[in-house]
Amino acid sequence: MPRPAAPGLRRGAAAAGLTAAAAAVALLAAGLGLDSPPPARPATASALPAPVAPAFTPRPPRLLGSARHRSLWAPVKRAAAVRAAPDAAAPLAGMLEPMTPEGTRTVVAVAERDRDGSGRPWVKVRLAVLPNGTTGWVPRAALGGYGTVRTRLVVDLDAFSATLLRDGRRLLRVPVGVGTAATPTPTGEFYVRNRLTRYRSPTYGPIAFGTSARSPQATDWPAGGFVGIHGTDRPDLVPGRVSHGCIRLRNADILALARRMPVGTPVTIR
Amino acid sequence: MRPLTLEAIDRDEVLTEAISELCGSTRAAFLRTTALGGAAMLAALTTPAEAAAEIGDVAILNFGLRFERLQATFYTQADELGTIATMAKAKRSWARTLGAHERAHVKIIKQVLGSKAEGRPSFDFGEANETDAAFTKTAVALEDLTVALLAGVTPQVHDKGLVSALFSLLTVESRHAAWARHIVGTTPAPKAFDEPKTLRQVQGAIARTRFVVRRPRTSGTRSPGFTG
Repeated sequence: MPRPAAPGLRRGAAAAGLTAAAAAVALLAAGLGLDSPPPARPATASALPAPVAPAFTPRPPRLLGSARHRSLWAPVKRAAAVRAAPDAAAPLAGMLEPMTPEGTRTVVAVAERDRDGSGRPWVKVRLAVLPNGTTGWVPRAALGGYGTVRTRLVVDLDAFSATLLRDGRRLLRVPVGVGTAATPTPTGEFYVRNRLTRYRSPTYGPIAFGTSARSPQATDWPAGGFVGIHGTDRPDLVPGRVSHGCIRLRNADILALARRMPVGTPVTIR
Repeated sequence: MRPLTLEAIDRDEVLTEAISELCGSTRAAFLRTTALGGAAMLAALTTPAEAAAEIGDVAILNFGLRFERLQATFYTQADELGTIATMAKAKRSWARTLGAHERAHVKIIKQVLGSKAEGRPSFDFGEANETDAAFTKTAVALEDLTVALLAGVTPQVHDKGLVSALFSLLTVESRHAAWARHIVGTTPAPKAFDEPKTLRQVQGAIARTRFVVRRPRTSGTRSPGFTG
């Protein structure tokens, strides 16, 4: 008994043979320069619908570039004891509170990561306490999801300038007012920990950034003597040594900076 | 319709194990916790458009964008944290390639949605991308979940051009899933037929991972008390 598929296959083979013969004749005719119409395409090919054009096509994928100019930060999820080493038994180096005096979520700059003897992960963070530059270890579980920034602000106290870099390239350079000789702006490595807007205090201009830097001379300041980067109602005093430690910018400049500088940005003051 | 559980999506239970390890609980305790918390988190993730009887193309694409962002952030962050750098060469290449693909997916979907693209959500992967083992387990489950999502929602899309494009993403994501399974030495194609999942089912599974979190409030309106 013939198998059901066989006749079809044979018909297909016969059709293929005819198509090949027709193609050979057409080629021969073309070679001889005869003026004849092109051979018809096989019916099966013309019956297939054309593929639907995709509405979008992703661009070629790109690997992540160098991490040299990237910095990590993390929000604080819950109050945590800060230790001098990645170990719950290590000496206490301070306490980390989840909220700032300004009512925003506390964020910390991530300096290093490690595990304790039992494999529990710890994170070394920069603290917004005196003395400036203090670091300590907190359990990873006390922090939320990491954020990454590619920006860095460099404040030059002698040149009265603030320069914003992204991926190491200069984006913006503006004149600044800095602390007086009696109340100098502290130097060192800090980070932007929050951003305040729409407040009613023209002294600070339209936008103020809180940093992790604190003034050793302003310990009795009501909110703890945090150094801010903000606008001003006295643009005529910028640049110069005019503040209690804060970094003052002209209002147009703080607005330009605010468009480009996210929370978590490292700040170098020198 | 039976609600989708992590067990259903996570065929080899890799994600369940990974997350339960991260939570410091047993697998059973983790499942109990997620069952209790899942409904509220799902409600928080559901947008009005998705709650409507008929889901539009924009809502589907926006969910796709949210999910691609989750994946892209997961891989990118693992690279930034140095987790991928510690892997063997072949595995490193796999992880970095997947990251690059997911970033390309985010870019194009965002571009297609234009002003209708939703804002970037915040993610907290805990330790899921901080060690080689946790990263690998989670990546396998995420790739499987992506395939299930795309297989489920692509036929719901009205625009033929979008359907065509989403099918192209689906085939790439299927290769990612098979590649990921190959990396961990498990069966690349465990079943003869992949059951498609609905957008709502995938939302539930994602909500139960707790990877999508509320954005930390780092801006405020209180008058500054800085030194001035």
